[in-house]
Amino acid sequence: MKVSGADTVRRLTVEDLSVHYGGVRAVTSIGFTVEPGQSVGIIGANGAGKTSTLKALMGLVPRSSGRIRLGDHDLTRVKARDMVRHGIGYVPEGRHVFPGLTAEKNLLLGAYSRAWDEDTHRQLAEVYALFPVLEEMRERLAGALSGGQQQMLAIGRALMTRPRLLVLDEPSMGLSPKLVGSILDVLLKLREEGLSLLLVEQNAKLTFGVTNHCIVMENGEVAMNGTSAQLSHDPRVREVYLGL
Amino acid sequence: MKSRLAATGVLVLAAWALPYGLGGYTVHVVNIALIYALLAIGMGLAMGVSGQINLAQVAFFGVGAYAVAILTTHYGHGFWFSALLAVLATVVVGLFVGVPALRMQSHYLGIVTLGLALGFINWITNADITGGADGISGIPVPALPGVDLSSEYLYYYLEALVFGLALLFGLFVVHTSLGRRLRAMRDDALAAGAMGAEIPFLRMTAFLLASLYGGLAGVLYAGLIRYVAPETFSIANMFILLAMVIIGGRRSLVGCVVGAIGLTMVREWLSDFSTYAQLGYGVVVVLMVVFAPTGLAGVPARLRTLYERRRRAQQSSRAELRPFIPYEVEDRSARDGVLLSVEGVTQQFRGLRALDEVTLTVRKGEIRGVVGPNGSGKTTLFNVISGFYRATAGTVGFAGSDTTTARPYTLSLAGLARTFQNLRLFGQLTVRENVLVALDRTRTHTIWQYALWQPGVLTRERRLRAQADDILRRYGLADFAEADPSSLPYGIQRRIEIARAMAARPRLLLLDEPAAGLNGGEVQQLIRIVRSIRDSGTTVILIEHNMGLVMSLCEKVTVLSSGRVIAEGTPQEVVSAPEVIEAYLGDSDLAELDLDTPPSAARPDRAKEATP
Amino acid sequence: MQDTLQTLVSGLSLGAVYALVAMGFSLVYRTMGLVNFAHADIAMIGAYAASTFYLTSHLPFAVAMGLAIVITGAIGLVIERVLRPLENKDFDLMLIGTIGFGIVLQALAIIIWGTTGRAVPSPLDSAPLDVLGIRIRTYDLLVMAVAALAVVALAFFLSRTKRGAAMQAVAMDHEAATAVGIDVGRSNALAFAIGAGLAALAGGLVGPMLYVDASLGGALGIKGFAAAMLGGFGSIHGAVVGGIAIGVLDSYAAGHFQGYSVLVTFLVFTIAIMIRPMGIFGERTVSRA
Repeated sequence: MKVSGADTVRRLTVEDLSVHYGGVRAVTSIGFTVEPGQSVGIIGANGAGKTSTLKALMGLVPRSSGRIRLGDHDLTRVKARDMVRHGIGYVPEGRHVFPGLTAEKNLLLGAYSRAWDEDTHRQLAEVYALFPVLEEMRERLAGALSGGQQQMLAIGRALMTRPRLLVLDEPSMGLSPKLVGSILDVLLKLREEGLSLLLVEQNAKLTFGVTNHCIVMENGEVAMNGTSAQLSHDPRVREVYLGL
Repeated sequence: MKSRLAATGVLVLAAWALPYGLGGYTVHVVNIALIYALLAIGMGLAMGVSGQINLAQVAFFGVGAYAVAILTTHYGHGFWFSALLAVLATVVVGLFVGVPALRMQSHYLGIVTLGLALGFINWITNADITGGADGISGIPVPALPGVDLSSEYLYYYLEALVFGLALLFGLFVVHTSLGRRLRAMRDDALAAGAMGAEIPFLRMTAFLLASLYGGLAGVLYAGLIRYVAPETFSIANMFILLAMVIIGGRRSLVGCVVGAIGLTMVREWLSDFSTYAQLGYGVVVVLMVVFAPTGLAGVPARLRTLYERRRRAQQSSRAELRPFIPYEVEDRSARDGVLLSVEGVTQQFRGLRALDEVTLTVRKGEIRGVVGPNGSGKTTLFNVISGFYRATAGTVGFAGSDTTTARPYTLSLAGLARTFQNLRLFGQLTVRENVLVALDRTRTHTIWQYALWQPGVLTRERRLRAQADDILRRYGLADFAEADPSSLPYGIQRRIEIARAMAARPRLLLLDEPAAGLNGGEVQQLIRIVRSIRDSGTTVILIEHNMGLVMSLCEKVTVLSSGRVIAEGTPQEVVSAPEVIEAYLGDSDLAELDLDTPPSAARPDRAKEATP
Repeated sequence: MQDTLQTLVSGLSLGAVYALVAMGFSLVYRTMGLVNFAHADIAMIGAYAASTFYLTSHLPFAVAMGLAIVITGAIGLVIERVLRPLENKDFDLMLIGTIGFGIVLQALAIIIWGTTGRAVPSPLDSAPLDVLGIRIRTYDLLVMAVAALAVVALAFFLSRTKRGAAMQAVAMDHEAATAVGIDVGRSNALAFAIGAGLAALAGGLVGPMLYVDASLGGALGIKGFAAAMLGGFGSIHGAVVGGIAIGVLDSYAAGHFQGYSVLVTFLVFTIAIMIRPMGIFGERTVSRA
């Protein structure tokens, strides 16, 4: 899959991002950067604030503080629906495909912000090349697909937005180890093609395999931070997970 | 209290003196207004208090009025005897109209009740016995020895008396056991069911009350006008009645009364411009719904909050969360045997198998942890145990009986209580009332007391309040008894949920992520509370993400992954099981990296770290 | 047999109108979870507007209808805008808010068109057809044809166009829709306008069949709602099936119970909906406990 965008200076910078739900503090002053072509992982146990971080980044939940920049653009005030126009594709937690629409419609809706033309169909073909099973299922309703197929569909839909940065929220959730393996392969392939990735995962193994750099979150804060290679050998990661 | 009594006295005096200053026509308008006020109270009880969208109130009104008309003119019965039968007939019709509420709610119920009202209008406009479009005239004057009720002045006193008693009764219902349960059902029917409220009976009770008031209003109308015709009971009037209730404030009976009397007066003054007046009500209803959903009755409370917020900004509030007072330790020998047994439970949701042959046995006196990654089926398991879902396959046994198909309220009465992952407190009830809903174990069928033995209700109410205050004190919540739960910090709301669940004196308590959103200190307090609850003789099962909490609290842990039980054992056994580590971290390789540090050694440090 | 068929035919044409009402109602419900009780009064305004352009301004029937659709579409946009703060929040309040709008629209109709109402002559003056001894009014055929056309057009819009797909996507998952760049607010407004336009179409068509006055909405609306419920709330083909079912039921009840037809219709409807609260094509369960 070709990743458009010659501009290599599009670094994503997130500073001092905080989220509150009512009186509850979900995320406290998180900051990180994603260099162009790099992939960054955010890992941590359930309820550590990973999903809230992503949703706040995407503008899907209100931020109580934070600045977000992509290259020269300040995205802090950009509405959630306009994030795609800045080249950020989003794969939500729990897939969130449009269940009553066919698989192909789901993919086409990824290209909602552009006219549906030749180019769109070329792109569709690229997604099908990446996920051949989706082509077989193109006329099926998304709600009738298996969990793994839905996950591929959600990734495919995000790719149809033509992202420079792909943001994924727990793509391994509820999938069998074999399927997790194939998701891993796809993410590696996308990375090789130069796409930047921001991956939120509970599955640390998967994340270390795909990313250059990782953040470990605990109780809404950054507990650890380092290269994926380092962290994969750090016993403290396990403690954070199992609450030891 | 004294000022309230004085105000009531003044109102009674004013009501008594009112006709002296009014002309004949104005008294007539006042009489009509009181009838609408009765209707509005009934509507408020069903819609505002119980949350049942009832758009058939005008039909209840019609049934009452037509029954009197038919019984007096066709069958020659006396007025009072007819009146009694008419109210009974209205209640029967009300219960019939309420039956759909058992199966549907909200807009569905609105459309069905409106449709039935339309059917009623259709019947009275066409049937012979109702006189068709001409209606029925010649209803006799209600006979009362020595009082000529054909005089609108004297009729006013009859109406005022009935209205006063009806309002009093309505307020009595709202502020005691039955009304509290109705309000709890309105705020959150699921949680109310889990607290033992018999939802189907309560829904019928709401319609019973609505139709009772509708019938009374109908009887008074027939006696006042002595002529009934279909146009009085039209859908347009139904919507005017709705406007009255919304503008006045549907949740407050006094608000409903104010709305009804106010709008009847305005309507009368603007009778020459009735269309413009109608335009006005419509606009006011829309504005009210968007900007002041609590209606006129909510205005004082809003002003008060505004004022208090300003004051609180200056001086910090004195209310504080006090420490938990542990329960008395129960004799351990009483703990023996199985309390809960889940066998081969499968829960299928369309494409998804949320639970896959889950088997789980919990003994009396245990603290059991249920853990697992996101989406592994933990909350689904709780929903099956507490009767919210009916298992696709398998059985659930609680306290020796098969409860696979039991309703939540039955389980609550049998001694099961639960909390919810996303707090489900009754938002419009005070903290004390929240606790009272669970504390009150009297059944809905005891509502006969409301009709026949009100002092019994009051005595029980006093006893329950004292018990509720004991519970609030035990949980350190005494300062917040009168507070609105949604205004309180999250940690306090979590504790209220536990206090509320424990108010039902359960044998088994299910806690769904009790530590979510709590800070380190609050987690430590939670640990003390849960231990004490167990020591008092209540078995506890908790779902938790916070593994530290599970490790230090639970004797036995069950691990779910993708709807299956993948491990069960002591916390130490479970965290070193490769399946568990794989489920959590993705792969067991990671576990092999470093296994030297024994889990227990690391724990105290973390706990210290967490406590500020 | 002849009688039965005759009732069926007259039921079908009324049913087509109910289906149109139900369809607009379902579209709005499905896209934004709003139960629009003013929907029926929008249909009434549509009936008045269409008849005014047709009778008073002497415009062709089709043009009059088109103008009526535009006007009611605009009314739909206003209602959606005012009630937007309540969307996805308080269902019951929103319901009452739309009832408030219904009261306003009725009052406006009386102010503009008076209380007397009007009979609208059929735009087709050819004699009724006689098929196997069953009399079919040509206007009834027109109504059925227009309704069928509207169903096809709506189905085409929803399934074949980008905006239609987006509108459905918003209904299914508004967060995911936002993430692919769909403007949820605008999509909802468009849905509301289309819903209102369908109501106007129903109102305009029913004009020559019934008597047009300010209370037209009452009868038309409640049966339209009933049709939507019976078919399954939010389902477009459910609305069509439900509409025809209510129309035929209505027509049978009118034939067999004369004056009590409305009562019979709603009793049957209540029992049907008690047995299957989610309707024929509905999926969601409604009873929350």
